[in-house]
Amino acid sequence: MVAQGIPEIGSYIAFLFVSTVALVIILRLFVSPRDPRPTPEKKKPFESGQIAAGPGRTRFIIQYYPYLLMFVVYDVIAMFLFAWGLNLRALGASGSIPVLVFIVVLLIPLGYALHLANHRENW
Amino acid sequence: MAPVLGPLQPIVDMLTSPLFLEIVLFPGLLSIAIIGALLGWLERKVTARVQLRIGPLYASPAGGILQMFADLIKLSFKELFVPENSDAFFFIMAPTTGLVLGAALVGLIPFAPGLQIANIEVGLPAFLAIITLSPTLILLAGWSANSKFPFIGGLRALFQQTAYEIPLWLSALGVIMMAGTMNLAQIVDAQTGGWYILPQALGAFIFLVTSVAEMERLPFDLPEAESEIMMGWQAEYPGVLFLAAQGPGFVKLYAFSALFSVMYLGGFLGPSFLPSLFWMLLKTLIVIVLIMLLRSTFPRVRLDQLLRAGWTTLLTLAILNIGITYLLVVGLPTL
Repeated sequence: MVAQGIPEIGSYIAFLFVSTVALVIILRLFVSPRDPRPTPEKKKPFESGQIAAGPGRTRFIIQYYPYLLMFVVYDVIAMFLFAWGLNLRALGASGSIPVLVFIVVLLIPLGYALHLANHRENW
Repeated sequence: MAPVLGPLQPIVDMLTSPLFLEIVLFPGLLSIAIIGALLGWLERKVTARVQLRIGPLYASPAGGILQMFADLIKLSFKELFVPENSDAFFFIMAPTTGLVLGAALVGLIPFAPGLQIANIEVGLPAFLAIITLSPTLILLAGWSANSKFPFIGGLRALFQQTAYEIPLWLSALGVIMMAGTMNLAQIVDAQTGGWYILPQALGAFIFLVTSVAEMERLPFDLPEAESEIMMGWQAEYPGVLFLAAQGPGFVKLYAFSALFSVMYLGGFLGPSFLPSLFWMLLKTLIVIVLIMLLRSTFPRVRLDQLLRAGWTTLLTLAILNIGITYLLVVGLPTL
């Protein structure tokens, strides 16, 4: 290991260094005066130099919302395959048949969902 | 060591234990901070080289190598304020939690036999599960800033995650099927006969593309696209918080390149005339430079292009890769 070659005093210096950096960041974040010279312009949200107009959390067109729904379903389903992949050598070809059927069965609704998701005006 | 220090002895023992030194020095916090800063310099140099510029030059005797440290000092002395009407707690919490997550990723990587902070059985899924949290943090940062550009950037991060996440996991599944284990050190040991880059070439390609998308680097840097939405979710961060928002990007680059070396390039395996740590760092550096060259070569994609490519091309290729791996491991079906 690399760590064993380092003299004892070196580890103290490194520890002091790291904790000093961390302490400085923490002090900067929480202890130092938050806003010594407040001006109204400074705290305005950034809009490329214009005066900010309207609410910050604006409306956002969710034309990709079907992808979010598909993600919620298929990300969980993909995790089931990990249990199969880990034990693939033990299961062999005969033990894998249900999982392969499972994958094929999943692909059919996935294709249909993608077909619907590509009709972006349907959301 | 004789107990000569009295009541301080347990503290001294803890501070000099190998695990503590690994956490603090290498591959832990100190090396992560230094390597992250050096990667910032390397990225600017590589990009400048591709674009026929010089890049950072003045901040040291050797090619501006101290530039990022100078930036670090400058940023930490800047005034710290929180924009009005923003949710201050989440605004500060999101980037600092991102730093912690980035450091946790490096803790899972085996850099040499035994030189690994957390050698857990589910190392590979744990790595990918930790990285899954980062788009959520970006969405939180964008929402709490109460400003238009960060909000758009946060929502883009959310949609982008749906595009790359499933191909990323499924391409990692190919390696798990080949190795029969999820432990990263054992995955490296399983590659003594040959690196997985050859049988898993398709999986390695998908993993590289999706991990670049996960790191939000060009050509997939939609959440921070500085020419479209002004650094996106990072737009409102001042001083030290901007540093905390930028830093995880480089730490993730380091961790993902190390993971790519572990999964496909044989990790710390190599000819024995040099230490295994050298081979690991060399492979990591090669992957890092490859990803930086991607950044300086390709233009940015649109969100709908990324979603469509992720859900059709990458997902199909990932399932095809699982089929190929199945045939490689189990063999052709005999009827």
